[in-house]
Amino acid sequence: MAQPETDIVVDRAQSKWSDLWTREDYLAIWLAFSIIAVCLIAYFGFGPKNEFAAKVDAANQIQQVEEAKAPFKTIAWHNAESDKTGLRASRSPFGAFATHWTSRPGSWQNNPMDAFVRTKAQAEAMNAKAQPAYDEAKLASAAALSAAQQAETAAAGVQFQNSVLNTEASVKISEWQAAKKKEASARSKASNKPFNLFPTLIGTCIFCILAFGAGIKLMGQNFTAFAKGFTIVFLVTVFAYLFGNHAISKQYGFGAEAWGILLGMLIANTIGTPRWVLPACQVEFFIKTGLVLLGAEVLFGKILAIGIPGIFVAWVVTPTVLICTFIFGQTVLKMPSKTLNIVISADMSVCGTSAAIATAAACRAKKEELTLSIGMSLVFTAIMMIGMPAFIKAVGMPEVLGGAWIGGTIDSTGAVAAAGAFLGQKAMYVAATIKMIQNVMIGVTAFCVALYWTMRVERTAADTEVKASEIWHRFPKFVLGFLAASILFSILDAGLSKEMSSAMVEHGAVRGGTRLLRDWFFAISFAAIGLSTNFRELAVYFKGGKPVILYVCGQSFNLVLTLAMAYLMFYIVFPEITASI
Amino acid sequence: MKLSFDLSRRLGSFALALTLTFAVIYGALPRLTQSVDILKRMSVLLEEENIDPSRYYYTDVAQVVESERYLRAALDSR
Repeated sequence: MAQPETDIVVDRAQSKWSDLWTREDYLAIWLAFSIIAVCLIAYFGFGPKNEFAAKVDAANQIQQVEEAKAPFKTIAWHNAESDKTGLRASRSPFGAFATHWTSRPGSWQNNPMDAFVRTKAQAEAMNAKAQPAYDEAKLASAAALSAAQQAETAAAGVQFQNSVLNTEASVKISEWQAAKKKEASARSKASNKPFNLFPTLIGTCIFCILAFGAGIKLMGQNFTAFAKGFTIVFLVTVFAYLFGNHAISKQYGFGAEAWGILLGMLIANTIGTPRWVLPACQVEFFIKTGLVLLGAEVLFGKILAIGIPGIFVAWVVTPTVLICTFIFGQTVLKMPSKTLNIVISADMSVCGTSAAIATAAACRAKKEELTLSIGMSLVFTAIMMIGMPAFIKAVGMPEVLGGAWIGGTIDSTGAVAAAGAFLGQKAMYVAATIKMIQNVMIGVTAFCVALYWTMRVERTAADTEVKASEIWHRFPKFVLGFLAASILFSILDAGLSKEMSSAMVEHGAVRGGTRLLRDWFFAISFAAIGLSTNFRELAVYFKGGKPVILYVCGQSFNLVLTLAMAYLMFYIVFPEITASI
Repeated sequence: MKLSFDLSRRLGSFALALTLTFAVIYGALPRLTQSVDILKRMSVLLEEENIDPSRYYYTDVAQVVESERYLRAALDSR
């Protein structure tokens, strides 16, 4: 893509072998899989797998003994559980290296430089300020542990035959767990370390120039022109992270992606994006590479996290709402753009920004359509994040039902966690888990949309029969890379025990590898979108207010159907699951 | 001369647009947050629980790990 084009042209040429090293989709796959390969080799080839396996076995043995001994989870059981859940391959030398060299500007309140540099003196001052609260939390945790030990000893004294003593011990142990969680939170606030992000930001920029630049060169474009322009795109991205990480921005869900679009558009529509920057606005290349990396985070095993109710709320309601909203948009609202329709429908029904990105790339939507969809999603997410918990509390809805409702309707996972936490701890647990299950739908959504678009929408009047070769040629290949990454990591996840998968896959190769660069690539792509978007072109899509009407109608349907399904699943069909939560 | 006037005008537009944006996000929004009780409570909760509503995928949100663990344990113990 030499210039950012708003018109999408369907290429009628035949597929060639040379496409494998010259076409954007394939290059995105190779780049992403190179990163995936490095992460997998680093963690599984040289990581602490054997050490973790030994610790998990030891902890499991302790837990088996404790489970046989007592009818509740004892202190020793919980300590063994902590030993397992604390195992994270991302803390290995490679993980520390990857985290360090992909660091993004951090949180700040009053001084923006705090996002880039923290001196030793500043870190010590922050730790000293947080120390009293940490000391208090430590004392409270120690006291709670002592009470729990006394209660457990009392119960053990009668061989755990006294149900009253057992219940008392269980309650005290739960209180100790809660105190321990507060201690951990206070400890992290008193463990600030100094940092300086300037060298690592330069390093990340150089890495991106080389990685994407190689692809640009293979596509027959000018590497030097790309490299020059990319410094500005990267700079805009850094500022986007800076502004997005301010406390007030975060609270309203206005993160780096939104700021990237906003800053980019402000520059493009006032000063004007310099012509020499435009060769670096390779939006599709950045997004496709980011999406293939995102595939590594789409673990199909997650859909069983909350059992069948979770599957129904997340995987039955979601496609129903998506398809109905799309049909409504086409037949009732008569949306002028099918791609805008499907992107909004997916954004609203699946999981917000990530679904919008995947769907837009799968159906080759215009970047203005993606921008519009995400913009609307952000506004409504902020409103629902405040409004839904308030409504749920006002009507006295049970926490589990309220949490499921929030999880299935609010677009972004962070906002879901916030809204759920506002309601209560159980609501947050249910909400966040339902949202996670919905997030996993992205892969299937992208694939189905790509297939539908290739086979039905992009057919012209002249196509009496869609040949397989034509379908293959039109099909966005990066979706296959996305699915391949998802299948690979899902197989890895399923092939290991849940503890080892958590330690090595989720908190190793993913959170300590692919996710770090995925985040950067998406942020860079949104900065590039902003820098190449004209306000007037964007305004055209607002005409008649149809996108907003589509979103509101679709979300209203989503709210009703999700609530109905959540009630049916959690209170009528599987009340025993609800009782155990 | 015309070129520098045009550039000045464009720079001025950029500065004005940026100032307005900052005024809304860093000026008006914090005031709104402090003056509306529910927004203030949400702000305190987000700070205490270290939740970032701007994160959009489940692997970006620490609370998802804790939530999944809790629910799997609850279902396993049935």
